[in-house]
Amino acid sequence: MRPPSRFPALVTRLPKPEVEERPLAQPRSIGGIHIDPVPPTNLTGKPLARTIPVHRPPGAIDEFQFLAGCTRCGDCITACPYNAIVQAPDRLGAVAGTPVIDADTSACLMCEDFPCIASCEPGVLVDTIPPIMGTARITEHLCLAHHSTTCTVCSERCPVDDAIAVTDGKPVIKEDTCTGCGVCRYVCPAPENAILLMPAFSRPGLPNA
Amino acid sequence: MNNDRRALLKTAAMAAAGSMVAGATLPVLQADQAVDGLPTGEGLEWNKAPCRFCGTGCHVQVGVEDGRVVAVAGDKAADVNKGLLCVKGYHVGSILYGKDRLTRPLLRKDGKLTEISWDEAIETIAQRIFDSPDTFAFYGSGQWTIPEGYAAQKFMKGGLSNNHIDPNARLCMASAVTGFLATYGVDEPAGCYQDLDECDVLITWGNNPAEMHPVLFSRVTDRRSRGEQVRIIDIGTRRTRTTDAANDYLEMKPHGDVAISLGILHLLIENDNYDKSFVEKHCNFRGDEADTPTLQGEPISEEEFRKRIAKYTPEHVEELSGVPADKIRMLADLFGQHDIRITSLWCMGMNQHTMGTAINSLVHGVHLLSGHFGRPGDAPTSLTGQPSACGTVREVGTLAHALPGGRVVTKPEHREQSEGFWNVREGSISEVPGYHTVKMFEQFTKPTAEGGDITTMFVQVTNPGQTLPNLNALFNDKQGLEDKFLIVSDVYPTATTALADLILPAAMWVEKNGMFGNSERRTQQWFKMVDPPGEARDDCWMTIAIAHKLFEMGHEGMKDKDGAFIFAVKDDAGQEIPVWEFDRYYDTNVDKHLFEEYRQFTTMKHKNLAPYEEYVKARGLRWPVVEQEDGSWRETRFRFSGFDDPFVKAGEEFEFYHSSSSDGRAQIWFHEYQPPPEMPDEEYPMWLCTGRVLEHWHTGTMTRRVSQLSRAMPTAYVEMHLEDAQAANIRQGEIVTIESRRGVCDLPVWIDGRGRPPRGTIFVPFFDETKLINNCTLEAYDPFSKQPDYKKCAARVVKKTTAKVPS
Repeated sequence: MRPPSRFPALVTRLPKPEVEERPLAQPRSIGGIHIDPVPPTNLTGKPLARTIPVHRPPGAIDEFQFLAGCTRCGDCITACPYNAIVQAPDRLGAVAGTPVIDADTSACLMCEDFPCIASCEPGVLVDTIPPIMGTARITEHLCLAHHSTTCTVCSERCPVDDAIAVTDGKPVIKEDTCTGCGVCRYVCPAPENAILLMPAFSRPGLPNA
Repeated sequence: MNNDRRALLKTAAMAAAGSMVAGATLPVLQADQAVDGLPTGEGLEWNKAPCRFCGTGCHVQVGVEDGRVVAVAGDKAADVNKGLLCVKGYHVGSILYGKDRLTRPLLRKDGKLTEISWDEAIETIAQRIFDSPDTFAFYGSGQWTIPEGYAAQKFMKGGLSNNHIDPNARLCMASAVTGFLATYGVDEPAGCYQDLDECDVLITWGNNPAEMHPVLFSRVTDRRSRGEQVRIIDIGTRRTRTTDAANDYLEMKPHGDVAISLGILHLLIENDNYDKSFVEKHCNFRGDEADTPTLQGEPISEEEFRKRIAKYTPEHVEELSGVPADKIRMLADLFGQHDIRITSLWCMGMNQHTMGTAINSLVHGVHLLSGHFGRPGDAPTSLTGQPSACGTVREVGTLAHALPGGRVVTKPEHREQSEGFWNVREGSISEVPGYHTVKMFEQFTKPTAEGGDITTMFVQVTNPGQTLPNLNALFNDKQGLEDKFLIVSDVYPTATTALADLILPAAMWVEKNGMFGNSERRTQQWFKMVDPPGEARDDCWMTIAIAHKLFEMGHEGMKDKDGAFIFAVKDDAGQEIPVWEFDRYYDTNVDKHLFEEYRQFTTMKHKNLAPYEEYVKARGLRWPVVEQEDGSWRETRFRFSGFDDPFVKAGEEFEFYHSSSSDGRAQIWFHEYQPPPEMPDEEYPMWLCTGRVLEHWHTGTMTRRVSQLSRAMPTAYVEMHLEDAQAANIRQGEIVTIESRRGVCDLPVWIDGRGRPPRGTIFVPFFDETKLINNCTLEAYDPFSKQPDYKKCAARVVKKTTAKVPS
């Protein structure tokens, strides 16, 4: 009866059980002098080129200017009421320590008054440019609504008016309205997340910066 | 799947099933039940199981590796869902692995929960029952597997001679049962899900299948995407996701459904376009007895029926229901067209209703009077919300008045037959029905000195501390009553375990063998695939272990006529297997033993079931399942229809062979419209309606522990109309207090959310244990089904700043 779907069937993979972390072995020493060999220098851990886009908080200026101006003070992180802004991890090299948003953990809820921007003293988060962090795309072959079952969560929870419309039960993202806040990515209940979130590749800079 | 592979699978399945007959071998995992196209991997084995959640009865494929469920996919070989699942179903595997699974029996000692051994737990329970068997009550659910419910039923009614056993299904589908009984003389829908593939018109009566039975709803919407025309008419008290897909939305006042169905009946008669030949051959008319109404009713003539229905003109119906008269005419005209196929669907909207039996009967009546019955696509069909509300509660009869197979405790011959099948002493079964759910909890939470004559309550597979109406009166009052003892078997801590004196850690879903029966009479089977965590154990084992402890203590009821244990299981050599010891429980397949015993009960009401092995091979079979001359077993899709039902007399087009009037006819009922038990007034001006959401199942104890579902729907909320919110100066997302005469509940406001109630109505889902809306609901119930009405009571919305402190 049901026509063959144009997509392969969805399979849910359950996460592996959490294994309690064993405490690291104490370094060996003789009379307080460490005797473990010094590990070789890890040449693979070199800072990455900054051309890899990261997901910045709303109002972030051009990435080059941003990196030059951001003092890593952490004020925007403190200001965010939803703990959506975090320090970029060390593995991101030059970017490490700067504020980023990881929508998988906590998305930007697009506050009306943007406390993060208000808190930014160095002025790398500004309210003079549109608060566009990136854009979301729907991966149709992973989306439940495209697999004939009811799901409207992304459009219901999207904090931006009219950024996600539902047509024939299926969500459609308006790319020119979407701010890339990542709420849809955060709430998507599909077996594999059906929202692809892309950080903005370029952002407006400040004149005379 | 090619034919060779299919044949191979069939042989392998039969060989494996054959090995079960010996009864003494460990259940063999049916890896050959897997379907094509699933990921493969070293050590990854796929097996079939019905989904743990709702009554749709989708099958999933469960991937197991290293003793752990690692993957879940829809089962393409299943007729119900054909590989598709809903958002909950895709995550059903994760419900096993919440961080706070209960793993040890816990006894409350001096107010503190203390770990105890299983031996101590079983002994404690048995001692309490032994000391006072008549004040013990067993509360279960439509999530009991068929063997679990059967064991509980036999333990209580056959063993303890105590009928105080009732399921949460009383809160969920009891009115559907009484509606079927009053109309056809026998329970459960005549049609099946195939009706959804063939209907031209689908009417949802206060029903929201787009969210509550999404896989079934997609059977209809998929047809549209193939270019077929299906007209969906949504009758409800608020706009839902089903409304989004509907061609017509008829917004009614609460209880308006009664008036609407009366209006359709009126017009069919008035316009003289009802199905005269169907009615003449197959129907009688019935009305309530004047003094004590029963489900039998009294015969009335067609003339009398015409007279009583005469006042329900479209204009009068508009007044009662709020639905415009021309829409009532539109519905009646559709029913008057005999060449189209009309399927009605309903669930809690019609069942959780103080006129639940009446509205169920009236909608059946609309289909019967118009002849829209028994042809594929022409069906009045009630859906269930629990995986085995039909299989366990309705068929095994785990209700205070019922016995297995459609029998009742009040009929001597039914008691006698049951005592015979159970081989228990004559007179073992009491003729007095036990307490139904609301009464049972009233008696449990009332102090013993004031006549509260239930002192020990055993709750399995359900969460009454969250689902009972008017929780403050029916559940919370238990607190502080020293001589009341609440035993709860569950998998996670719940609102119910919060007041429990003894908590038993239960195995769930594929951690045990099981069987469910879904909404379309489909009996389904699965095998245990992984071990439960810690010391969690099967509910069925708990019942048998308690029974055996009582047997050891010398309780006469735990012995059959020959002095043997009532749950005795013997191996091939005739040796009893001590299944009451948990490490020996899986020495045999206890499910199979119990099911084969239960099967004997099923033929009286023509609910015939096939042998256990047939269910091992199938993705469920719809009863009656009848053996063919070639030894194969044939299921039935359309009951009472001569072309498909083997029990209809040869040559008859239809036969209602369990007719309550004993003449092969169904009853078309007349019921007078009555207003709801509590209506909004100046003090409490809003209608409060409660229900479910797509992402969570019932009280959310399982689904709220699945991170994807919890993120998608993190909290309960109150849906409000924008103008009502504006009038009260309430903003989107603001936390408000809902107050009724019975209690309060704080909730964030969602305006123009997923559901859109009209002005004067609010809607709150009940899945969230941190926001218990059942503090506010009303315990008024239907006089026949005893099912409470969760869909309407009077409430008010109060801004937090002005809310009074809860008293």
